Amino acid sequence: MTGSVTRSGARRILITGGTSGLGLAVAKKLARHHKLLLSGRKSQIEMAGALPRGAGYIVADQRDPERSTEVLLRGIRDFGWDSLDNAVLNAGVGFAPADGLDGPEAIRETLDVNLVAAMLQAQALFPLLAKSRGTLTFIGSVAHTGSATFPAYAASKAGLHGLARSLRSEWGGRVSVQVLHPGPTKTDMHAKAGHDPGRMRALFLEPGDVAAMMASAIASRRSPVTLSWLRYLSGGAYLGRRL
Amino acid sequence: MSAGQGHAAGRKPGRALVTGGAHGLGAAFVRRLLAEGCEVTVLDKDPAGIDTAQVDFIRCDLASRESLDRTLPDLVTAGPYDLVILNAGINATGRFEDISAEAHLEILRVNAEAPMVIASRLLGTGAFTPSATLGFVSSLSHFTGYPGGASYAASKDVLAVHAKGLRAVAARKGVGITVAFPGPLRTAHAERHAPKGADASRRMDPDLAAIQILADMLSGRKTSVPGRATHAFAIAGRLMPRTVTALMRRLIYRRLVC
Repeated sequence: MTGSVTRSGARRILITGGTSGLGLAVAKKLARHHKLLLSGRKSQIEMAGALPRGAGYIVADQRDPERSTEVLLRGIRDFGWDSLDNAVLNAGVGFAPADGLDGPEAIRETLDVNLVAAMLQAQALFPLLAKSRGTLTFIGSVAHTGSATFPAYAASKAGLHGLARSLRSEWGGRVSVQVLHPGPTKTDMHAKAGHDPGRMRALFLEPGDVAAMMASAIASRRSPVTLSWLRYLSGGAYLGRRL
Repeated sequence: MSAGQGHAAGRKPGRALVTGGAHGLGAAFVRRLLAEGCEVTVLDKDPAGIDTAQVDFIRCDLASRESLDRTLPDLVTAGPYDLVILNAGINATGRFEDISAEAHLEILRVNAEAPMVIASRLLGTGAFTPSATLGFVSSLSHFTGYPGGASYAASKDVLAVHAKGLRAVAARKGVGITVAFPGPLRTAHAERHAPKGADASRRMDPDLAAIQILADMLSGRKTSVPGRATHAFAIAGRLMPRTVTALMRRLIYRRLVC
């Protein structure tokens, strides 16, 4: 009984940046009941064995937004999908410049990966999502209101927040658009960004808990949703809707 | 809406840089600064509309990374500045899915990436005089959302929040940051992107907006929201974000796509 319910309720879900961090954590969470297609910068060989069971994988480097968008579209088609129930545009990169000023390369890479790629992919995936009245999820950050430690990263996430706000209004009734803002999580994001949070890291949430909150926020289709301690303590990782 | 940053009110800038100074609000800034006896450097794609005898003109297409990288050293040497206004902006309106990917990309490059790169470089190279002002021109859309101009709205949010993140490092260098959030202005830019038949007389006079924004920048305010209607909209957008975005959809998006 459960098996047949699961199969008929299985959704086609694309997750970008699905090879590590929150992307991989949410993929693991959703893999039990849904069909997944993940994308990331790592090669097929590196990802062999690291993917959740049954998930497909596309190598797409978001640092080249136009090319990665083409590659994703082709990968979805080659996987045999002609529609999407969910797209989770999660790929992200951040830098913590030593003097508080990002150089041109860091600014450009941050915007390309976090915002431009997400924007072009939102546009390219729209017809696939519209076919199934699906949900487009941008993964923002609680830093979207501004940060002196990660100025360009915070700015790129503000861009996603604003893009989601306007697109949600434009696409109302056709595709649900939402932005989720996770708080600091125990992933390798900070180490990659060149920032040591020190003892503060003890206060970061576990990736599995944030992934659980992401999954229920995705099911709720609401926007914007902040995923931090406040939501965690009110049961966000255990209560709420299931996708 | 704003707080002082310790600048002398009514200060007169000696040397200023205005990006996108050939047209619209940028040209209004330039007119006002020249009238006050300021030396002005204008960066724009094309000198048409500019009296190059009156200003230093630097040609640069902010949509091109190569063009900006070539220009950055000249921008630094043309300083140090008392006032820099990162004003250049472009737009494309309509259904998000119908606007070309190239246009969306260009909007983010010109409106967000280029001013971020310029601001970081100027702050990093000491291209400001003591107690100078760095001004960013964002948009009222930061408070209201902008269905029909989603990539424009995103770009202006990027700019506003980047400016906020730079405040502390700029203050350590003695530079104050002001972010301006103008609403619809009576410019050719607005005319091109507003719904057909929209009433232009209700848009603010760009010269008036420029005067108010400059006054806010030079008195060290953190933000500048010129005009009463713009101010009211910004507050409403903060208090009732969903309602105001829905109103923007009715006022703009529905009329753009009909």
